[in-house]
Amino acid sequence: MTMMTGKQYRESIRRLKPEVYYLGEKIESVADHPAFLPHVNAAALTYDMALAPEFEELLSTTSHLTGEKINRYTHIHHSHDDLVKKVKMLRALGQQTGSCFQRCVGHDGLNSVYSITYDIDQKMGTDYHKRLVNLLKEVQSKDLMISGAMTDVKGDRRLSPSQQKDPDLYVHMVEKKKDGIVVSGAKAHITGAVNSHGHLVMPTAAMKAEDADYAVCFYVPVDAPGVIHIFGRQTNDTRKCNCFLDQGNVDYGIVGGEALIVFDKVFVPWERVFMCGEYEFAYELVERFATAHRQNYGGCKTGLADALIGATYALAQVQGTDRASHTRDKLVEMVHLAETLYCCSIACSCQGYALPAGSYMADPLLANVTKLNVTREVYEIARLAQDIAGGILATAPSEMDWKDARVGKYVDKYMKGVAGVPTETRLRLIRLLEGMTCGTALVESMHGAGSPQAQRIMIERQANFERKKRLAEKLAKIGEQPLLVC
Amino acid sequence: MSKNSRQVKVALKYCGSCNPRVDLSRIARHLSKVAEEREDFQLVPLSENDIDVVVILCGCPRACGNKEEVRARAKRSLFTAGESVNRQAVPETQLPMAVEQELVRILDS
Repeated sequence: MTMMTGKQYRESIRRLKPEVYYLGEKIESVADHPAFLPHVNAAALTYDMALAPEFEELLSTTSHLTGEKINRYTHIHHSHDDLVKKVKMLRALGQQTGSCFQRCVGHDGLNSVYSITYDIDQKMGTDYHKRLVNLLKEVQSKDLMISGAMTDVKGDRRLSPSQQKDPDLYVHMVEKKKDGIVVSGAKAHITGAVNSHGHLVMPTAAMKAEDADYAVCFYVPVDAPGVIHIFGRQTNDTRKCNCFLDQGNVDYGIVGGEALIVFDKVFVPWERVFMCGEYEFAYELVERFATAHRQNYGGCKTGLADALIGATYALAQVQGTDRASHTRDKLVEMVHLAETLYCCSIACSCQGYALPAGSYMADPLLANVTKLNVTREVYEIARLAQDIAGGILATAPSEMDWKDARVGKYVDKYMKGVAGVPTETRLRLIRLLEGMTCGTALVESMHGAGSPQAQRIMIERQANFERKKRLAEKLAKIGEQPLLVC
Repeated sequence: MSKNSRQVKVALKYCGSCNPRVDLSRIARHLSKVAEEREDFQLVPLSENDIDVVVILCGCPRACGNKEEVRARAKRSLFTAGESVNRQAVPETQLPMAVEQELVRILDS
């Protein structure tokens, strides 16, 4: 088997028995519980679209390891075309789901660990890359969905991993055995964790020699003993269980579905360990992963923005404001902002380059610029959508009252917009916009793939202020005057 | 290519220098100096025929100059890409020497 359908994906995670908790309850089947269904649906679409003729050019490709046709989410980039197609794939998926489809984190993790294990082996004489390639072959042949688990809970941010009072505040090796290692700790905000097949766990920060036990990278199945998932709350999440229309985006929800993953003395066999103590490579791995993930955001968020702009335009029509000049101006501004983000992602892909392993990564400076813009412009797009939509976004009656025998007729009468368009249409658009602009989804744009300050740090590192200074000095006739500054 | 054979033709090719992260002309000046000292190779324009080695100088990792049609102009090639030589990381201060060493390795091979 190579590529799964969405249905096969659902069946595959139904067979797994991960330990998952949500709202104080142990979840028996992630694939069937209403709290997780939107996230499962979105992930399933990454499988179905890869087999759909309209999208297979973006969502499928050829394995450089086996020559087999594979889902792009299991692919290692080997060209600029691969990098660009990833961004286009994300936009296409964003348009179809209007939400997060979760699979890119593990994809970026695989690409980052693929290249860093090669570099570690070159310097240290280890065999991590071969192990990673073996995992990759399995991921490709079984079309697995992998979560990328990087962010540690971090405790006191002023302290390094080994300085924390509680040693488990960063994932670390607690025991080294003949046949593997034992790890403890927790990873936070892990997108798609509960409906993945396994977790690719990576260190979260630069490490020093004293942090060597924290420089661990490994893979575990989602239902490995000791791996515990605590699913996070989202805005209006109980609507998943008792509403339909009020969910807004019924099929795919509002964001990816994040969990806290606890590793309670989890055993990892050596063949699934890809870094164990090589602390000097931790930062490079973080930077490559961050670059790969930040590259994405002008793709997926632009796809979401396409749907959001469409919803805003449609609601303006329903409310009779679509021809107002200020509405047109704001809609144009939303498009301008969205396409600017897309330009950023395409640019950092085109300016990407090959690594010693032969795989490609996006340009780090431009990828960080992409994500930093997303932390601002997605909010601005949402603000404009709310501006056009009006206060009704925050005050509309519930679908229960709209269906109520006593007051339903009033809701229907007074919530109506232009004649000829059912009130239900207006309520559906309001709820879709509410989900996309009023809660958890926005925070994801701010902190997903790292907080704005993380991008600023990487931008500063890449900025090359000295060369810019030399350019200015030449123009201002300061000091030595080279013919050209190169 | 032995030291006693005819002077080896080495050509330089720049990526275009849109936004270089390193000083490429410093590498070129260094190679020019080395060519004078060693006398077993000469720097020639890329347009010449029978070029032995092309040194492709790219200002960033994107390595826009490292194209097949450029490499095909010579029997052998090496390239810089920002702070690297043939994809091996090299700090900017050591780039001229690292390029020289790689070129000498080719000349002596």
